[in-house]
Amino acid sequence: MSIEPGTTIPPWEMPDVSPDRMKTMAAILRDPYPVHWDREAVDAIGFGPRVINQGPLNLSYITNMLMAWQGPTCVRRLRVSFGHPVLDHDHVTATGTVTSIETVDGERRAHCDVFLERDGAPVVTGTAVVALAEATPDDH
Amino acid sequence: MTETELENLIGYRFPGGTRTIEHWENWLLTDCTGREQLPDHLVHPVALFHVPIQGVGTSIAELFALGQVEGAGSVGLDGYDWEYFQPLREDVEYRFDGGVIETERVTGTDKRTGAPAVYDRFVFSVELTTPDGQPAARITNHWRLRR
Repeated sequence: MSIEPGTTIPPWEMPDVSPDRMKTMAAILRDPYPVHWDREAVDAIGFGPRVINQGPLNLSYITNMLMAWQGPTCVRRLRVSFGHPVLDHDHVTATGTVTSIETVDGERRAHCDVFLERDGAPVVTGTAVVALAEATPDDH
Repeated sequence: MTETELENLIGYRFPGGTRTIEHWENWLLTDCTGREQLPDHLVHPVALFHVPIQGVGTSIAELFALGQVEGAGSVGLDGYDWEYFQPLREDVEYRFDGGVIETERVTGTDKRTGAPAVYDRFVFSVELTTPDGQPAARITNHWRLRR
């Protein structure tokens, strides 16, 4: 099936955001910010006793969706804004839609609106540019 | 931090340096994202958060100190703009250069309480190049430092 403006990207789900993965991520990032591993610190700022997922992990679910769709080297650009925090044990879903197609140096690229949603409401919104793995219309 | 001190951060340059993404680090990072490992020593694209910060010779803790913020609730993410000029791979010694490119004091509204709130926009950018000097990636991160 050809990819064109309006094409829906197959969603990618993270059914249970893991606090243990946040701890590993905090170590990888060398991130001292306690909201990712200290429940009391999060409770004190009004989010309740659940730790807050790292922004890069929220973005990673969107990139996982894009790579599952067009392969592991497809991502050319990501521009995202972060809204409400994602908390441990949330169920989130990455979604996206193609908005336009262009060809750059012989590479066919899709410009996409992308989202990370919780309960149907976006918590991350943005755009992505993705190199398409499909053959161009001129290929035979 | 005074507004003048904040403005003076524009143009601040990080030390710069080189960094290699090792297999164990990429493996753990990819596992944290909840997907299977990538083929051909490819690095997960989300590495463009921490690798440029560390590769340019700073850290999240030092960025907090530079912006004079500390403690839970002091920092929020406004957004990222990440460009990939070629796929990143493990065991390549990338070069990193960058600095603070924008700051701005903003009087706004707290998202949760609706009360007036002061925060600072803090924007930094880092460029990655390959060992032979080819552009590999560029990141521009927008943070919100709450006052």
